[in-house]
Amino acid sequence: MIQVFDVIKMYDGSNPVLENFSMEIAKGEFVFLTGSSGAGKTTILKILFGQERFETGQVLVHGINVGKLTHKNMYTLRRFMGVVFQDYKLLPNKTVFENVSFAQEVIGCNRKTIRFKTWEALKNVGLTLKKDAYPSCLSGGEQQRIAIARAMVNEPSIILADEPTGNLDPNISIEIFKLFEELNKKGTTIIFATHSQEIIKLGEHRIINLRQGKAVEF
Amino acid sequence: MQTFISGFRTTLSNILNNKQTFFLSVATITISIFILGLFLMLFSNLNGFLSKLDDEVQLIVYLNDNISPAERKVLEDIISKSPFVKSTTKVSKKLAWEEFQSNMSENLKPLLGMKFNPLPASYKIQLYEADNRLVHIRELSEQLKDKKGIESVEYGQEWITKIEKFMFFSRLFLFAMGGLLCFGLILIISNTIRLSIYSRRDEIELMLLIGATPSFVKVPYLFEGMLQGLTGSISALFLIKGINFYLKDQFQSTIESISMEFQFIAEPYLFGLVGLSLLVGLVASYLSTYQFLRINK
Repeated sequence: MIQVFDVIKMYDGSNPVLENFSMEIAKGEFVFLTGSSGAGKTTILKILFGQERFETGQVLVHGINVGKLTHKNMYTLRRFMGVVFQDYKLLPNKTVFENVSFAQEVIGCNRKTIRFKTWEALKNVGLTLKKDAYPSCLSGGEQQRIAIARAMVNEPSIILADEPTGNLDPNISIEIFKLFEELNKKGTTIIFATHSQEIIKLGEHRIINLRQGKAVEF
Repeated sequence: MQTFISGFRTTLSNILNNKQTFFLSVATITISIFILGLFLMLFSNLNGFLSKLDDEVQLIVYLNDNISPAERKVLEDIISKSPFVKSTTKVSKKLAWEEFQSNMSENLKPLLGMKFNPLPASYKIQLYEADNRLVHIRELSEQLKDKKGIESVEYGQEWITKIEKFMFFSRLFLFAMGGLLCFGLILIISNTIRLSIYSRRDEIELMLLIGATPSFVKVPYLFEGMLQGLTGSISALFLIKGINFYLKDQFQSTIESISMEFQFIAEPYLFGLVGLSLLVGLVASYLSTYQFLRINK
């Protein structure tokens, strides 16, 4: 499902962040992407959903050659994926419901589907009672749940999570992690980038550790 | 369809969020189109007035006193064969002298004591009404002027050439001004749209990250630019219509004496102005969104 071959990525043109990085992730797999800060976890995720370009190598997602996509057809790739950002990227002027339904609006779903699926997604993350609240009125954990609901509402086959528990306290982190495991049980492929050993210990999943821009698997 | 409906909703929400900038931009468009439209209206009226004058232009062929019947026949053949000639009036030397006498002012009466008639006989040729009537007059004049038995051919060449030059430069001025105003408007509208885009920058970036197509992002801003153009041009046309009413009210009786009336901008130009304004709005917003999307791939 996801194949990355010998990818080299440089930001400043001299020091590669990723050096001949390769990995393969099967359909329905849950993978931890780990490594110290600056190891390149976020860069890999950004490459996977086409936010960053890379110098050499090949990245295939569902058979789509990511390097060949232009910004005009990048959406074809992004519609397979849900992304959970470390900083949530919620829209402050929209309610919880609107933030989640936004993901469906942008892909052109009709209103009836939007209402139904948004409600379902909010139910899955336990936020139906706060559907009319604005993100600024919610805790960090709740905001991350909205971000997860937004990532899952379009039923993507892959969810990329970039340090989703990075800003949360341990108890909330565990809850959030469980949400991802539930999604994985339903068949969604999860790539969970984290540097937290506590979170990694919670689940028995494959770990791809990044060291000096290369993958070391456990 | 869904993209368009959702795009239009976003456009309205953008406008409500940036009311001040939107109306400032619309006001600028209104002023620019008002200036352009006002000149266009003046130009239309001037054009109407000049074509009225054009209608009165006739070709006068003055004949030599010693013209032979054969030469006269050649001239009459040329005139009668021309498909553009509506009517020809023959004016004999005698008739010309009588007309001259009847039109003469009191101060020139002593001239009537002259022993001979200095006026030549002539043909007064009237051509059919057509847009290129002057061209036909010129062609016929060229055909006739070198023929034997002709003293001269006249149709007011000098003032017609001057008017034509004036109209040519007026048209050039209108085009140049229109071009400059459009350029200015594109800059202003694209800046307004850019402000609107930047105020929703995070939302647009997120849209692209979660799978929106570039056209889904562009459509609301294209609508916004077009809406600015449309609102601005319609407001400007209302203002011009107001001025047209005022001029009619004040000066219609004066110009009626020359059987003319104040015209508003002709329909094709009217639609042209609205279309131009829409196009300017579209181009400006396209440039802004294109620039933004190119940076935020």
